[in-house]
Amino acid sequence: MRVLAALPLVLVFLLPLAASLLFVLPDAVNAGALRELVAHPQFSGALRLSLFTGLASTALSLLAALAITFAAGGRNLAGRAGVFLAVPHLSLAIGLAFLIMPTGVVARLFALLAGWNAPPQWVTTQDPWGFSLIVALVLKETPFLVWAFASLLNRDDLRRQFEGQQAVARSLGHGPASTFLRILLPQLLPRAAGPLIAVLAYGLTVVDMALVIGPTQPPVLAQLVWTDINDADPAVSARGGAGVVVLGLVVALVVAASALAAVMFKKVRQRFYGAAPRPGRGMPRGLAALWPAFLAIYAAAVLIMIVQSLSGHWPFPQRLPDVVTWKAWSHLAADPAPLLTSLALALASAAAALAACVAWLEWTPARADRVLAPAAVLVLCLPALLLALGEYRLFLALGVTGSAAALFLAHLLPVTAYVFLLLAGPYRAFDPRWQATAHGLRARRLPFLLRIKWPMLKAPLLSAAAIGFAVSVVQFVPAQLAAAGRFATLPMEAVTLSSGGNRALIATYGLALMALPLAGFLLASRLSRPRWSTP
Amino acid sequence: MLNRRTFLATSAASLILPVAARAADWPAIEAEARGQTVYFNAWAGSDTINAYIAWAAGEAKARHGITVEHVKITDTAEVVKRVRDEVAAGKQDGSVDLVWINGENFRTMKTEKLLFGPFSESLPNYALVDVAGKPTTRQDFAESVDGLEAPWGMAQLTFFADGAKVAQPPRSMADLIVFAKEHPGRVTYPAPPDFHGTTFLKQVLLETAPDVAQLAKAADGMAITPAWQAMLDDLHPHLWREGKQFPKSQADITNMVADGELLIGLTFNPNEPANLVAAGTMPATTIAWQHAKGTIGNTHFVAIPVNAKARAAAQVFANFLLSPEAQARKNDIKVWGDPTVLAVEKLPAELQAAFTGSAAPGSVSLPGPTLLEPHASWVPLLEKDWLSRYGKG
Amino acid sequence: MLSLQDIAISMADGTPLITAVSLEAAAGETVTLMGPSGSGKSSLLSFIGGDLTSAMTATGRVTLNGKDILHLPPERRRIARLFQDDLLFPHMTVAENLLFAVPMAPQAERHAKMQQALADAGLEGFANRPPHTLSGGQRARVALLRALLAEPQALLLDEPFSKLDRDLRATIRAFTFDHIRARAIPALLVTHDREDVPAGGRVLEITARGEIRHV
Repeated sequence: MRVLAALPLVLVFLLPLAASLLFVLPDAVNAGALRELVAHPQFSGALRLSLFTGLASTALSLLAALAITFAAGGRNLAGRAGVFLAVPHLSLAIGLAFLIMPTGVVARLFALLAGWNAPPQWVTTQDPWGFSLIVALVLKETPFLVWAFASLLNRDDLRRQFEGQQAVARSLGHGPASTFLRILLPQLLPRAAGPLIAVLAYGLTVVDMALVIGPTQPPVLAQLVWTDINDADPAVSARGGAGVVVLGLVVALVVAASALAAVMFKKVRQRFYGAAPRPGRGMPRGLAALWPAFLAIYAAAVLIMIVQSLSGHWPFPQRLPDVVTWKAWSHLAADPAPLLTSLALALASAAAALAACVAWLEWTPARADRVLAPAAVLVLCLPALLLALGEYRLFLALGVTGSAAALFLAHLLPVTAYVFLLLAGPYRAFDPRWQATAHGLRARRLPFLLRIKWPMLKAPLLSAAAIGFAVSVVQFVPAQLAAAGRFATLPMEAVTLSSGGNRALIATYGLALMALPLAGFLLASRLSRPRWSTP
Repeated sequence: MLNRRTFLATSAASLILPVAARAADWPAIEAEARGQTVYFNAWAGSDTINAYIAWAAGEAKARHGITVEHVKITDTAEVVKRVRDEVAAGKQDGSVDLVWINGENFRTMKTEKLLFGPFSESLPNYALVDVAGKPTTRQDFAESVDGLEAPWGMAQLTFFADGAKVAQPPRSMADLIVFAKEHPGRVTYPAPPDFHGTTFLKQVLLETAPDVAQLAKAADGMAITPAWQAMLDDLHPHLWREGKQFPKSQADITNMVADGELLIGLTFNPNEPANLVAAGTMPATTIAWQHAKGTIGNTHFVAIPVNAKARAAAQVFANFLLSPEAQARKNDIKVWGDPTVLAVEKLPAELQAAFTGSAAPGSVSLPGPTLLEPHASWVPLLEKDWLSRYGKG
Repeated sequence: MLSLQDIAISMADGTPLITAVSLEAAAGETVTLMGPSGSGKSSLLSFIGGDLTSAMTATGRVTLNGKDILHLPPERRRIARLFQDDLLFPHMTVAENLLFAVPMAPQAERHAKMQQALADAGLEGFANRPPHTLSGGQRARVALLRALLAEPQALLLDEPFSKLDRDLRATIRAFTFDHIRARAIPALLVTHDREDVPAGGRVLEITARGEIRHV
């Protein structure tokens, strides 16, 4: 039974993952391509930019997420943050660009006040320092971290521990800030290492957001590599292959350096932990406004996308577009195939990943996770490009590129990684005494699972499925590479159309891309509502 | 210029006879094509072009019983790589049956023997192609076509602006620099390797080269001229973002021109400005022009990969795309506005009428002659030099 | 002296939990509260300590040494608490756990206090051990010492002995009450176990109706 239950994950996850990585290995040892890459005039600038945007966005997201978590003071933000998670990176970048570009909403407001006729020469989007890219990343990753923290803080076992510890710390004379920093934070961060590494890796390797809002001369390293990889010239393409490996190395080095920094912290630990009680003042007023501010920016970005999706010609500095038209939306309605393909694919991959992960978690011992968890973390941390390239070469060797199976498998890989990482914690933490009790009442395994365990784990099961669904919806690279572009999916359609620059269509597809995951999240949160609320 | 044209015209005329002779087995190809599915890999950034392809696919189904699936791509290089990988992996039933292509990508596929053919000159409708008047239908970026791709449409670098804001359009690169100095931050071009960005650089090369004939030959061992560098050095400080950042694409520039953030846009489709007026993106006062001494022109084609599965149907569809009806519809500014490759004046009178649209607002009012593309081997040279000089911000 | 006057606590839906509790605990005295499960004993301690869940509402007055404390945040009330679980912070060493409670003073002085506390508990040499390597009795003693190092003016004990095994209980009980007496601070003890009551100590019972009854 154990072997049987582990088999699905081994077949659809571990084997393809290992094989894909093997297939990109030759890129790693291509010294010529590596030399070419280092000799690229933009390489050092691009690397610097990547490090700066990746590290700055991660640090700022972490600070903002901690500030929000602290300001929430124990309120459960997981549900609210889930809504933010549904917004794909690409959609957010598009909406943000519509807001801050020199002909965007903000500039139009200024124009209205100052009486400008021509757009200002602002350096907002595509600024050479990558600030707007950092803003976009922080907007997207902060809610993710808030959600990760909230999920931890509200896990039954942890919540009780933390509440008691906090009460003790307060009774010993430590104020809320000191309690948060010395009691909660040091126990929270190691548990949130997975999400933090994911945020860091994403910030270092982001392509889609950088294409919309990032600097161009030089671009961030991932974008440089992306351009190379897509080049028809085999030498340039090989340089891109080497670049992908370098990108992976950069991520590994930065993660290792962060881990090292955490170890170094040990030296100052006693001074920090053993600090004398300090009641401290109340919470700074600005902190409470942070979370609503995020909400407001998201709302503004979505609103402007809705307006853009209905706009025809909209010259600067007019407040409203000249023409209001449904054309872009009717375009979407006229060919619903990409929408339906994405929906079916997301449902299938989320369901398959959930089933495979549950089978693994239920019937294999916890120590088996020591193999799977690093593999799943690897999928999240590797540049998406590297994995997609490996998959593509694997499918090519098997002769299945362009098939529905290739498309499905390519989507399943990242979906499974997310579902597993989200589910493993709560599933393994399930109190074994429930099972003992049920067996004591002469319930067999299946009735116990169906009537006790899974209903009790309803919330984590559904939220893992919802995230898996959302992850599947936004996959672009696998559909293009592994499935040879033969199956039109929503992100494929969005990316190809965006190369034509039609803003109404870009906004429409950005919204459609957001609608599917959002529906998934709302459904999941509706279904996971407990029968009654406990005090 | 004239000399080359005449030379090509005579050599082309001499080829027409064997073409007609080979078309004899066409009915067999049509019969084989029936029931096949053509995966047509074509750039899909434009809604109007996608709609045109969808129309053509519908006609192909109705007339020839073939199914055409538009595989939407952002960059043709993806297809080149995919075919190369598939051929290397020994995949015979390739995933690409027909690809929209020209220039560097064509040269790559041709030299790597990734193309099926020659086939194009034996297509029945090829006889209607204006090989004499439009030499780029046989010389794709100075690379001989050799029947490996079928011409589809014509392109010529064209500039456009709102005439209400730009009264005197600059009709040479030197004039453009003067204009940029007068309107700092309101002119730019897409960064290479974007197709339009590279073309802009090639146009500068043509306008600064001491000997244009040199550019038609392979660039082996040649160096970029100091005049090219000097002109860009002169231009860049006055560009948008002082020439330190560049828009990603021509489409972005078009949006910025429509918004008023930039004053001058560029396009490879001479009818695009009129198309933009018709779509309401640009105002009716829009003007379009080409440089007085000419701008780069070329032809875009469709080609069949060597491992295509539905070769017969791909040929039938390529032939349909060349038909006067399909070409006339494509030429229509309200549909796409892509200039035809056919010799319109040689068509029967009733078919000619379909091509003569009245001059719409935004049509090219100041045309210039077509300049041939420099040899494709100049491109890496230009891009490399550009990157090391301007790519670091 | 810790003094409670007319404390009433009710649940979110308005159901009263405690109706009218008044009591006083003198310096050095441990007053024991007993009563059936769910009678609101722990809620009463939470209310005094300052972290009653916002779902409950409470009224009444609490003074410590004559001063009103209800308007103060928990960390300013100077009331230390012990729970069923020792709640030693798992990510800190024993020394760090103790130092965490030692009030502001020159570093050397604070360390000396911490070392003294360890010596009191017979735990010299355990300073740099993580809490999970200690036995249950050692952990209970560290938890009490930590609470006392904060120099509280009152102590709230929420069934602190219930998870210890029988042999240990008597020792820890004696250790705790000795320290309370030595410090001369008032303490409230909540328990189910009659044996927990200190010799000669007062016992109050909270009835099912939420009233208080002297035993």
